[in-house]
Amino acid sequence: MHGLLNYILWLPILGSLLILLIPKEKVNAIRWFTVAVTTVTFILCCILYVNFDQAVPGIQPFTAVSMPWIKSFNIYYKLGIDGISLPMVWINGLLFLICSFSSFDIKKMHKGYFSLLLMLQGSIFGVFMSLDFFLFYVFWEVMLLPMFFLIGIWGGDNREYAAIKFFLYTFFGSVLMLLAIIALYFAAEGRLGAETFDMVKLMGGHFADLKLSLFGMDLPFDKVFFAMLFVGFAIKVPIFPFHTWLPHAHVQAPTAVSVILAGVLLKMGTYGFLRISYPIFPQAGHYFGDFIAWLGLVNIIYGALCAMAQTDVKKLIAYSSVSHMGFVMLGIAAMTTEGMNGAVLQMFNHGLSTAMMFLLIGILYERSHHRWIVTPEGKKGFGGLYAQMPKYSIIFIIGLFASLGLPGLSGFISEALVFIGVFKPYPTIALLGLIGLVLGAAYLLWMFKRMFFGEIIDSCKEYADVNKREMFYMAPLCFLVIFLGIYPLPILDVMKTSVGKLVIDLAKFAP
Amino acid sequence: MNINYLANLSLYIPEIMVIFTLVGLLFIEATYSEEEKGRKLFFGVMTVGLVLALLALVKNLGVPPASIFTNAVIIDPFSTIVKILMVAGTLFTIYLGQQSRDIYSNMKAEFALMAIGVLVGGMLLASANNMLTTYIGVETLSILSYVMATLKKNDDRSSEAGIKYVLYGGVASGMMVFGISHIFGVFGSIQFVEIYPLIKDLSSLQMAILIPSFIFFFVGLGYKIACVPFHMWAPDVYEGSPLPVTTFFAIVPKMAGMAILLRVTMIFFGPENTVMHVSWVGVLQVVAALTMIVGNVSAIAQKSVKRMLAYSSIGQAGFMLLGVVVIDDIGVSAVLFYMITYLFMTLVAFFITSFVADKYGNDHFERFSGLGFRYPLMGVVMAVVMFSLTGVPPFAGFIAKFNIFYAAINQKLYTLVLIGGLTSVISFYFYVKVIRFMFFTPAESEEKIGGFGYINQGLITALAVPVLFLGIFWSGLITKIVHSKLFFVQ
Repeated sequence: MHGLLNYILWLPILGSLLILLIPKEKVNAIRWFTVAVTTVTFILCCILYVNFDQAVPGIQPFTAVSMPWIKSFNIYYKLGIDGISLPMVWINGLLFLICSFSSFDIKKMHKGYFSLLLMLQGSIFGVFMSLDFFLFYVFWEVMLLPMFFLIGIWGGDNREYAAIKFFLYTFFGSVLMLLAIIALYFAAEGRLGAETFDMVKLMGGHFADLKLSLFGMDLPFDKVFFAMLFVGFAIKVPIFPFHTWLPHAHVQAPTAVSVILAGVLLKMGTYGFLRISYPIFPQAGHYFGDFIAWLGLVNIIYGALCAMAQTDVKKLIAYSSVSHMGFVMLGIAAMTTEGMNGAVLQMFNHGLSTAMMFLLIGILYERSHHRWIVTPEGKKGFGGLYAQMPKYSIIFIIGLFASLGLPGLSGFISEALVFIGVFKPYPTIALLGLIGLVLGAAYLLWMFKRMFFGEIIDSCKEYADVNKREMFYMAPLCFLVIFLGIYPLPILDVMKTSVGKLVIDLAKFAP
Repeated sequence: MNINYLANLSLYIPEIMVIFTLVGLLFIEATYSEEEKGRKLFFGVMTVGLVLALLALVKNLGVPPASIFTNAVIIDPFSTIVKILMVAGTLFTIYLGQQSRDIYSNMKAEFALMAIGVLVGGMLLASANNMLTTYIGVETLSILSYVMATLKKNDDRSSEAGIKYVLYGGVASGMMVFGISHIFGVFGSIQFVEIYPLIKDLSSLQMAILIPSFIFFFVGLGYKIACVPFHMWAPDVYEGSPLPVTTFFAIVPKMAGMAILLRVTMIFFGPENTVMHVSWVGVLQVVAALTMIVGNVSAIAQKSVKRMLAYSSIGQAGFMLLGVVVIDDIGVSAVLFYMITYLFMTLVAFFITSFVADKYGNDHFERFSGLGFRYPLMGVVMAVVMFSLTGVPPFAGFIAKFNIFYAAINQKLYTLVLIGGLTSVISFYFYVKVIRFMFFTPAESEEKIGGFGYINQGLITALAVPVLFLGIFWSGLITKIVHSKLFFVQ
């Protein structure tokens, strides 16, 4: 089992290079090669899941990989996963498998597209597996490159703007992160005896009473760098007011890329909070706790209100992501067992439900070539889809209700856990957050009503129902959403020990 | 006192070789000038001469450091590495000059001659060990540079560039020699070795003379590396000069200036000389911050890729200055690493720009449209270089910036690092503009671009390999640089 993470990480990257050897006319060979690579990767992720030991609170020993990379800077190639990263690694494997199927629709330059897609998968694995801060940063940035080209070349009409905005925002955040990483490296010498980029060694609140001088002011070390990391991660989540890149990127990106963006990439931000910000700067985490909780609330309400105003259905789902990621932030800020568990579970569940929604919109777009609920001229974009595409509508309903948190589907459990967790420390915010739930139901159902019910409008009459390939890749998501709604323990059990340890570690530093 | 003027002369073989090459080339040029045969001989001799000089320099790397000509010149690993970079840069730029249509065919030999002349000045500057050598180095470097800028005789902008360069350069070196004369007045010596023990305890009167004198001295150097506020000449000169000349200016004079600035800073202004240290570092910090900000912000609005690269090279110099401000061994190795990656990135960027400009007559961003699909290899290489200049991993440019930040944070220069980081975010916007046109915009025409033959493709790829390689496997190089004592005061 040793080295399993190596295979999961490097297989897609190797695949992305091998694809370049296939002649570009052989489109089918390229497609099926990608499917083969993602399938093997997903199987490896499943093996990882099966071998996972729930009783171990920290990094799973069987996954640990460590070797020196740059000796003179104490930089290590160090990988490992625990209960927080495992669900993310697994869903990354799953969604890329599904996306490689859904990407059969891509019209131009298949070779480059599939190569970049695999490169993206590999670098995202790297982010969730790295335990060395420098390595983490490298993967965090490398991930931007395939994403940038995927949006910029295969995206919609306004793709240049979206791609550049996406890159600029993230790059801004990561530069701040780089500063924090290097500063921590040197601070570790005084506090831990040796300079290190090792995340696990840095954890535990060693940097609380240091000072630093910035623009001539004396500032507390941990709060400044917590804030810098916060900006870096908040841009990725995205937390209001750093969210403005998201709707553009989503609307312009091709379907599969939107799925990855919403399903996995946004989670890198919240994962950063759980793996880096809070464990390394717990005191600052408590200090900014209220602030982050309120921002989470703003995300929920603001995202929902924005979603309600959208006439482009993809943009609507994009803003619903903003709203749903607010729940994750709220759960993290609460720092209670239920809240944290809810947050991590929500990261996973939102990955499933939002991936479903984006895939479904992609399927519809294949037929309609537009995404307007109401066209800019004020006419109905869709109407009566239910009668025209019954199978499609059933799947849509499952995704929709999972998204809005209907009991019995996966989204409910995580949102409920978040609210239980938040209620004790922040009763006001919990109550206000409930408004977000109502708003969520409102915009989703309203959208559904306008698109699926009523008279069939003329343009919708030729739409074919979902074909076998589409059915094939939607089915596992439908199954998971329902299954985890009834029985969430396969995921909850995996993460509870790690999350529990995190909560206990953080509680030690409560003021 | 050692009065053997020619001791350790063997260490000076590289310079002697370059000078002999220069003289030999002058003869060949005078005898054969217009014939094809003469041309071949000319460039053959030039290549052989410079490659031999490179080999001699590589051999010097292993030799213990020593000073020659009674301390006028010092040969240490630092100066040798900088010289290797400059010689390699010259070699590639002269090759580019042969290819480029920007240099008229009857001027190609002149270009090569002047480039080698500037190189001699640069090599002198890189190992200058007293005030006078420094000044002679700066002058040798400058005077030929003025002529180089005007190589495109019948182009108004080229003549304007030459005039601007000469005016700025003249004033700057005048101020520099003014500063040097006062420094000599205070210490009674021009030797770095004799000055630096004296600088530790000075009376306040001496200090009052010295601080302005050193600032005058700095003006001369600052203008060579085009740091703000002495950068005004740079964009116009860079734009007006023929493209290979611009490439050359972005590499050789910049590196030579950076090397001597680093040497002076390291020798005189270490933290042990409290007052001088504080004032010099204060000046350098402000200059570094301004250079990064102005260089990167001004590059945003440029329409021509060449001009954008000119501003970007100002910004890149700002990053190197950030490494100079650190004033310790980590800083020196960071600057050296930066120079190594900078050489490759600059060469590749200018090579590709030159081929595109030759085809279309100008180098506006629009001319790059769709290039990524028509010439995928070029597109990918250019994209790699642009991302690397921005400082995105896994490319060498990131490691270079990381090393600089690393050195600066080690000295707690948080503010400067923050400014550096934010300006590299800004820089992304204009670097990515090239990528945007290459990959996101449809091609303007399907005509073939002349320069992209197999040889040039191979050359550009070979130059880009270090950019990729040093981004991931930089352990060996950095260990070597960090662990060897680079600097010597003798």
